[in-house]
Amino acid sequence: MASKEKLSGRKRDERIAGYVFSLPAVVLLIVFLGVPIIYTVYYSVFQYQVMRPNDILFIGLENYKKLISDSDFWVSLKNTFYFTVVVVPVQCILALLLAMLVSKKFKGVSIFRTMYFSPQLTSMVVISVLWTVLYNSNPNTGLINAFLTNLGMEPINFLTNEKTAMNSIIFMSAWQGAGYQMMIFLAGLQGIPRDQYEAASVDGATPFQQFWSITLPNLKGTIKYVIMITMIQAMKLFTQPYVMTQGGPRNSTKTMVYYIYTQGFQKGNFGYACAVAAVFFVIVVAMSLLMQNLTSEE
Amino acid sequence: MKRKILSTVLAMMMASSMIACGSAQSADGTDNGGEAVNTAGDMDDAVITIWSPSDKESIENWWAEKIDEWNSEHPDMKAAREAIDRSDSYAYDNKIATAVTSNDLPSIFFVDGPQVSYYAANEIIVPITDYFSDCIDDFDPATQAQCTYNGELYAISATQSGVAFYYNKDLLKECGVDTDDLDSRTLDNPITWSEMAEIAEKCTTDSYVGTHIIMDHGEGIPYALEPMYISEGKDYISEDGTTADGYVNSDEAVKTTAFLADLIAKGYANVDPITDEFLNGACATELGGSWDVAVLEENATFDWGVTYYPVADDTKKAVSPCGDWSAAISKDCENVEAAGEFLSWLMNTENVASYADAIAKPATRASAYEEEAMAAYAEGPRAMFVEQLQNTAAPRPRTPSYATFSTDYAEAMTNIFAEAASSKTVDESYIKEQLDSVADSFAEDYNTYYAN
Repeated sequence: MASKEKLSGRKRDERIAGYVFSLPAVVLLIVFLGVPIIYTVYYSVFQYQVMRPNDILFIGLENYKKLISDSDFWVSLKNTFYFTVVVVPVQCILALLLAMLVSKKFKGVSIFRTMYFSPQLTSMVVISVLWTVLYNSNPNTGLINAFLTNLGMEPINFLTNEKTAMNSIIFMSAWQGAGYQMMIFLAGLQGIPRDQYEAASVDGATPFQQFWSITLPNLKGTIKYVIMITMIQAMKLFTQPYVMTQGGPRNSTKTMVYYIYTQGFQKGNFGYACAVAAVFFVIVVAMSLLMQNLTSEE
Repeated sequence: MKRKILSTVLAMMMASSMIACGSAQSADGTDNGGEAVNTAGDMDDAVITIWSPSDKESIENWWAEKIDEWNSEHPDMKAAREAIDRSDSYAYDNKIATAVTSNDLPSIFFVDGPQVSYYAANEIIVPITDYFSDCIDDFDPATQAQCTYNGELYAISATQSGVAFYYNKDLLKECGVDTDDLDSRTLDNPITWSEMAEIAEKCTTDSYVGTHIIMDHGEGIPYALEPMYISEGKDYISEDGTTADGYVNSDEAVKTTAFLADLIAKGYANVDPITDEFLNGACATELGGSWDVAVLEENATFDWGVTYYPVADDTKKAVSPCGDWSAAISKDCENVEAAGEFLSWLMNTENVASYADAIAKPATRASAYEEEAMAAYAEGPRAMFVEQLQNTAAPRPRTPSYATFSTDYAEAMTNIFAEAASSKTVDESYIKEQLDSVADSFAEDYNTYYAN
């Protein structure tokens, strides 16, 4: 009996220790995530000009009603989905291919790993500025168009044509982001037991069969994680359109976060921006849950 | 091995965050370098705190010197100034907006000219008429107009700015353009739009384009292009600042916009010009700012000239851009008297002259031109800008909805220019549609927040 009491006392101590250790993270989550979410929802039912913080007016669901008929909102949502749907598979496949390349043991492999990862070491703002110059429509100033015209092709208005602007951002983003996912895939690849490949080789399996039957199943957990974080990152796209296109041309690169920023900060419609942010938050959470269900083991 | 890779990832992430933290540099190349470099005086110890956009080294030094001077003479009213990154576009305004919501504005902050009405209407800044009643007439009329809202002076500026037509004489001569004719133009006989287009056409070659009309993708667009609209007959917004309908979307505005879009459509101007396009010889002419004079004097490797802002062919009415950053006292200022006294001192003739010299912009005070620091403005390109400012400068619209207007107009113009570049034609119905949406958006903002 005394032993049981002692054990439950230890369990209680462990439980208390658990709460104490998780407390800092919980406090940070509440302060930097919970409180802003509550405030966002709260302000979304007010008419609130950012320059008139003392003159806010309760308007109920008016901001949400306005949002439904706001074409810019739907265009931004469509652009965000388009970016996500394209960039997630492109970036993940590219990262997996790179990881498989640099997982081979050959001289100088660490140089390639560093090279592929290096875009991650640079700020996205700097990369966006650099690619804006690379994409410049004038062959005298844009490196890519200089290359194309030297090949006898017509220059392309990468960032100033609504048909190419978002795809140009997607290409640059996939190039920039793939290095990070590559390193995660690489860690996953290194965790696959070598004897599985050796046994498959003895049985005469081709490299593709080995990839399909050994690599992919073993990487399932890693792939799920990579897809999830890439998707959430993609939904938050802001820096590239802000620096490279300012949401244009013809709203073709205006994303949800960029739209929230222009409404809230440039135009000062803080209440409306909060309504858009609240709706977008629900969409991102729903997408994440859906993704989790689709990729769950059950 | 797995652990080794993970540790490499972590090391790289740490390095990446360190690089990100260490590379605070503004878009104009000014190194921010953290507070130690960009703060003059001690912000925590100061009675008067100041925010102004970060600038080139000569201005940062000017601030440090002036703050030291004030603090040594007023130990009980110490001042400190923090440089805020302006970047391109609207980064500085965002900082102000954030501080407004948290009631965390400094005693004094610098405001871009047309934003004075916006801040004044929202009571973010307080009137400073009393501190300048004895010397306001010494400031140029455009500055007085831009800084006044509802009959009260809300801000004051040490310098002005202008835009004029720069030309690369070497490239123009190469293309058979008479540069002597451009050199001889006067304020009564400026070049017209058709002459500007003709030069741009002649000077568009495989190596460079004829002209440059897009200053940046933010406030630079409404700032640099507004006089064209006024010259054609209609400003962006009504005189009383209450409506844009019938102004920014008028027939005159569509015609003006079509002229500009045509320069892009025909390839005479780049739709996405690189930074310092004129200085780099990538365009033969440009609508450039008065600050370019100093840049070109210091760096240009070619012979160049500058003449007055072009006028509409129909009206020949000479109008030119103006406006600059102005100092205002914020609603959160705890000691308005001290801030007012500091502002009066900061804007005295001597300080205005030395500031104008350091930032290479025309001074706002007439008396400043008698100071030795302003000797360079007696002749040449700088004198031309002063003459233009004194005779044809038109301040941007004074309306509380300017922030919305500026954002939407810049976006509409970017769309129009992109459309022209892609289709290589000018679609006036598309221009009208875009300008209509600017007018509608303005009306919505004005009616929601300011009409009553």
